[in-house]
Amino acid sequence: MKEMILQGLSQAYDNLVHMIAIFVPRFAVMLIIVVVGWIVALALRYIFRAILHVTRLDRISEEAGASQVLRKAALPPMSELLSRALFWVVWLGFMVLGVSMLGIPELHEQIARVFQLLPQIFIAILILFFGVLASNFLSRAALLASVNAGHKSPRVWSGSIRFVILILAISMALEQIGLANQTVTSAFSIVFGAAMLALAIAFGLGGRHLARHALEQYFGSRKTEQEKDEEPSPL
Amino acid sequence: MVEEILLADDFVRQLISVGEVDVLVGIPSFNNAATIGQTVQAVEQSFQQGFARERVVLVTADGGSGDGTREVVMNARAEKNSSGGRGLTSLRTEQRVVTQYGNSPSAGLALRTILAAADLLRAKACAVISPATPNVTTAWITNLLAPIYRDKFDFVAPLYNRHKYDGLLSRNLLYPMSRSVFGQGIRELHPSELGFSGRLASYCLGQNVWNQEDIQDAPEIWMALTAISSDFKCCQAFLGTKERPAAGTAPDIVTAVRQNVGSLFWCLDAQENFWMQRATPEAVPSFGSESDLTSEPMNLNRQRIYELFRSGVQDLAPILETILTESTMAEIQSVAGQNEEKSLFSGELWARTLFDFAASHHHAVLNRDHLIQALVPLYRGRIHSFLVEHQDSTAEEMEADTERLCVEFEKQKPYLVERWKAKA
Repeated sequence: MKEMILQGLSQAYDNLVHMIAIFVPRFAVMLIIVVVGWIVALALRYIFRAILHVTRLDRISEEAGASQVLRKAALPPMSELLSRALFWVVWLGFMVLGVSMLGIPELHEQIARVFQLLPQIFIAILILFFGVLASNFLSRAALLASVNAGHKSPRVWSGSIRFVILILAISMALEQIGLANQTVTSAFSIVFGAAMLALAIAFGLGGRHLARHALEQYFGSRKTEQEKDEEPSPL
Repeated sequence: MVEEILLADDFVRQLISVGEVDVLVGIPSFNNAATIGQTVQAVEQSFQQGFARERVVLVTADGGSGDGTREVVMNARAEKNSSGGRGLTSLRTEQRVVTQYGNSPSAGLALRTILAAADLLRAKACAVISPATPNVTTAWITNLLAPIYRDKFDFVAPLYNRHKYDGLLSRNLLYPMSRSVFGQGIRELHPSELGFSGRLASYCLGQNVWNQEDIQDAPEIWMALTAISSDFKCCQAFLGTKERPAAGTAPDIVTAVRQNVGSLFWCLDAQENFWMQRATPEAVPSFGSESDLTSEPMNLNRQRIYELFRSGVQDLAPILETILTESTMAEIQSVAGQNEEKSLFSGELWARTLFDFAASHHHAVLNRDHLIQALVPLYRGRIHSFLVEHQDSTAEEMEADTERLCVEFEKQKPYLVERWKAKA
């Protein structure tokens, strides 16, 4: 009995030593991969940031209004944000690779999934980024055009355009990741359809006089010389 | 220089057959069949009366008219000596050249085509006449050409008799701003008629700006400011009464601001080295009688202009905050918060506002076209104040006020320089 216990303990100890003997080098490899990954990611971050400075991305982002959004959200400038994103994507990749070196079979499948997802996440971030840019630019263009034309409720028009483009970008990004494809598509259809229906009802019923006036103005049937002279000639 | 421009073979052939000329008049046209015949007649009469011994040519640069404009030009007959003139007829053949530079109108391409013709034909004096101006007379053309041909000036801007509420963008923005920044005041910075020397034509043609989108709609502004900044001799000549354009043909406020202010701001950027060092303003010599103002009743909706200003300031506040300094923004909001009668956009505030816009345009704090569009409500605010202040003003009082505005702009120039040099 005593011998059996001792033998069991000895085997457990051997197993532990064996496991540690296997685990420690693997852990060391993982640490090396993580450290090398950190260095590579850091180098890529600086190179990428330098490239973005050359392409004057910050100025483009400023002009498109994306920088304003970032400032409001207390985020760094666009070039810094993208280079930091690249740093984390690359380093996370190395970390996942390092963890896979530990040889824990259950982790393998999950790690493979994460690896497959990384490029898609990056594309999704890009889609979101361009979506934010487009929504800012187009909503501002709509706001300026409707303010200068003297339309009623310019902020509503501008906000609607921003909302629709952002919803579209978010749904595209989520679809890219493959997250609840059908749910996202259905949700987008419902939200978009509901918004359009609400606008149609509001414009058709609530604002039929406004609609009539807008259509008359558009087709110019009632534009008289008097109306044309409302503002002095600039040139 | 000409060889860098893609001129149509037929156009080059026509120019070669003309040979060298002394005087060239260019007409940029697009669907002007109804009025261009009269313009051609006025040009040819001015050739007969004022330049009988000179070699002359009329060049029409057409933007693809579909109403037979080009045919009207070729078939228009000059009524010789019809204006009771001095009984002179041209001693040389009067040449007409017509070319189509594209299938859609472009002020930039039209002017470039006329400059290329002037350069190729080695013209000494040139003028551009708009076929849309309904009352061009022989005197107009002679007055534009004479200072160049006889007095060796390089750029002649027109002066007109106008309605006191016409040309307000020039009076409130283009003239005071260009005068204070560039040091020479040209009243009509974006004229439909102008004169220039062959030397200036060749110089402008050689500049690498013709593909710049910002000057395509108002290249005359760039040409005037280039003449000033490159030490060409500039002057102004009185032409006569500028009739109001037919309803629907004049550009609306938004288009006019985008085209003109866009060109002016672009020139500020491009000619920064010149105006930064320019300290004292110089007067531009003027020929002919003083321009005058008329004040026939006009149907203006002042209340609506004020409403557009007030709602514009409110709705565009987040955009304006990125362009203007805090104090300027606060002052504008205070002006927009006043009653319609009491709301006055002072000259001092207007100068500071425009200089903030110019500096923000330089630093590209926003898409540049959006930035210029954001100026429109503020321009309306300034125009509203102008209409309130000058509803009963005489021409002299309005001139004195314009002079005060120019002095205010000149006083504020260091503010522009400071904001220009500051980092965005």
